[in-house]
Amino acid sequence: MDQFYEELLDCMMDGDDETAVNITRAQIGGGRDPMDIVQSCLIPILDDIGDKFSRLEIFLPDLIMAADVAKAVKDEIRTHLLSGADGAESEGKVVIGTVQGDVHDIGKNIVATLLEVNGFEVIDLGNDVAPYSFIETAKRENVDIIALSSLLTTSMPYMADVLKNLNGLGLRDKYRVIVGGGPVSAEWAKAIGADGYSNDANEAVELCRRIMAERKAG
Amino acid sequence: MDNGPVMEEKDFDKLISKTVRGLLKKYDLKYDRETAIVTDDDLADRFFEAGLELAATTGVYCTDTHTQMLFSKDEILQALRWAPDQVTVGSGLDQCTIVTRRPEENVVPKIVGGGFGAPIPEEWFSAVMESYAREPVIDSIVGCNFFTTHGRTPKTRSPWEVLLAWREVELIKSAAQRAGRPGIGVGVVENAVSEIGELSGSSYGGFPQCDWHHTCFVSELKTNYGLLIKVAHLVKTGCIIHSFYNPILGGYAGGAEGVAVCAVAGIIMECVVNMATTFSICPTHPFYNCDTAPELIWAVSAAQQAVNRNTHLLTTVMTSPVSGPMTETLLYECAAMATTATVSGTARIDGVRSAVGVEILHVTGLEARFNGEIAHAATGLSRKDANEMIKEFEKRYVPVLDKKPIGKSFLEAYDPIKVQPTQEWLDIYGKVKTEVERIGLKMKY
Repeated sequence: MDQFYEELLDCMMDGDDETAVNITRAQIGGGRDPMDIVQSCLIPILDDIGDKFSRLEIFLPDLIMAADVAKAVKDEIRTHLLSGADGAESEGKVVIGTVQGDVHDIGKNIVATLLEVNGFEVIDLGNDVAPYSFIETAKRENVDIIALSSLLTTSMPYMADVLKNLNGLGLRDKYRVIVGGGPVSAEWAKAIGADGYSNDANEAVELCRRIMAERKAG
Repeated sequence: MDNGPVMEEKDFDKLISKTVRGLLKKYDLKYDRETAIVTDDDLADRFFEAGLELAATTGVYCTDTHTQMLFSKDEILQALRWAPDQVTVGSGLDQCTIVTRRPEENVVPKIVGGGFGAPIPEEWFSAVMESYAREPVIDSIVGCNFFTTHGRTPKTRSPWEVLLAWREVELIKSAAQRAGRPGIGVGVVENAVSEIGELSGSSYGGFPQCDWHHTCFVSELKTNYGLLIKVAHLVKTGCIIHSFYNPILGGYAGGAEGVAVCAVAGIIMECVVNMATTFSICPTHPFYNCDTAPELIWAVSAAQQAVNRNTHLLTTVMTSPVSGPMTETLLYECAAMATTATVSGTARIDGVRSAVGVEILHVTGLEARFNGEIAHAATGLSRKDANEMIKEFEKRYVPVLDKKPIGKSFLEAYDPIKVQPTQEWLDIYGKVKTEVERIGLKMKY
């Protein structure tokens, strides 16, 4: 493991985006391929941080700090790359929120942060979000995935409303819709016609990766 | 609510995280994996001081006004001083009085039985509720959530919520009547996710003042107009207020010790802001959604001992296990949490939200009976002895926490017409009781 890897890891755990950008810039200035930084350092570090959270060795605030630093490092790398089609590009764009009538949001925040840590661009609408707000945001921001969370059985029907509205507006094929949260199940996802369900935050990341691979494959 | 400092919600989340981390260092609070529960009075008192300081530092965030609701330490202590140390719920011969308790106290805590929000189709709702009301060890009951009503899937914050509230009134009262306990105190309006259901279900002909009416904080330490409307309504109509708060392990609170500090602060601020009479915590695991993971058992013990040693608040703890009916592991999860809460001085033992309350019809009265019987048995036990027993209980369910053994539904665990547990479920219950006694907890019944 090179020294830069260790220093970048420390920056991510400390939330030190300034030092992270400076050492990244120095590496590139010294002749290191920016793509090597992404492949050999950034991605393994983010995987490691995700694993640590899954073992509860670190917590949500640590994840948020790491995601902020990773974004700063990616922005720095992007400025050094000539082409836009590179490994530092977003994995995909996700609009996420807790559906109407439900104000629980920490589980959703964990999913949003893990997605960011894993390279997705995330638009978090917060909690108690009306069905149409998801659709408006999806249209405006041209997202790939609409991610709906609910911890309450009495809010789950609003997930179905998002899908009904997408169908009614002729937009269903444009976006992939995934669902999750305490009482939500794979059966519920199937019943309302969602494209996927995840049991926890780590599964949500895998699901979004699979969806994006399928979309990119056409 | 309207006059506090304005700040972004994300900044409040960061403030919670930063303040908790600072307090953990200042008061030297660390989760000890080698012990199941806290057994040290000094440690419990330091958790109280840390929780009090967190409450006075961050206050509570109102997501509608984007303001911090701040109170001085003196104002907080004054609210704690004047909070009730006993309350009677229910009416007539079926009423019961919940009294304050201290760790290791000999007074038996009161027992609440119910599914706490578990989804139930309306055709079985009353039978499920009757399965709790029939149990003599249960002093008060609490509802489940309707998975369907009037043959439809209901939506919160819509006209459906009004219909849900009134269906709850109708079916819980009929269940209590059939069980011969018409005046039993009820935790209500369980289906009122928003203020709409509470205002409707506690209006004329609905749930009376002597039932206990829910409000809560959102994690971590947040409220909103909807929840505060409930509080204003309940105060002005003279209803007993029950407030709950569920810090998230691994979230902004951090680890077990941070969860405990947030839980203490939450209970304190529920007294100040929500003007509650009874106070529940049910910290939540981020992956298993239960409160019976060892870290959370320990956090509950720390928070309960902190509050019960330093205030006379009427605390409650809910058992929220991953396992479901007709599994042995469900009963061991109950044994661990009910023992923990009882020896930690909790005034009221609640449960059981089996299969973490998300599987349709996966709750029954028998596990609530067992939860209550454990609380009776653990009354007067030393924390040191309880610690060893809880370790044994944990050994019997921790390996399955990630497997979510949801067990069988009420329709398989009970004769739903006679509202009696099946022999198979009774045999499992009997087997675990024998094992619990072998471990050292002497059952009274």
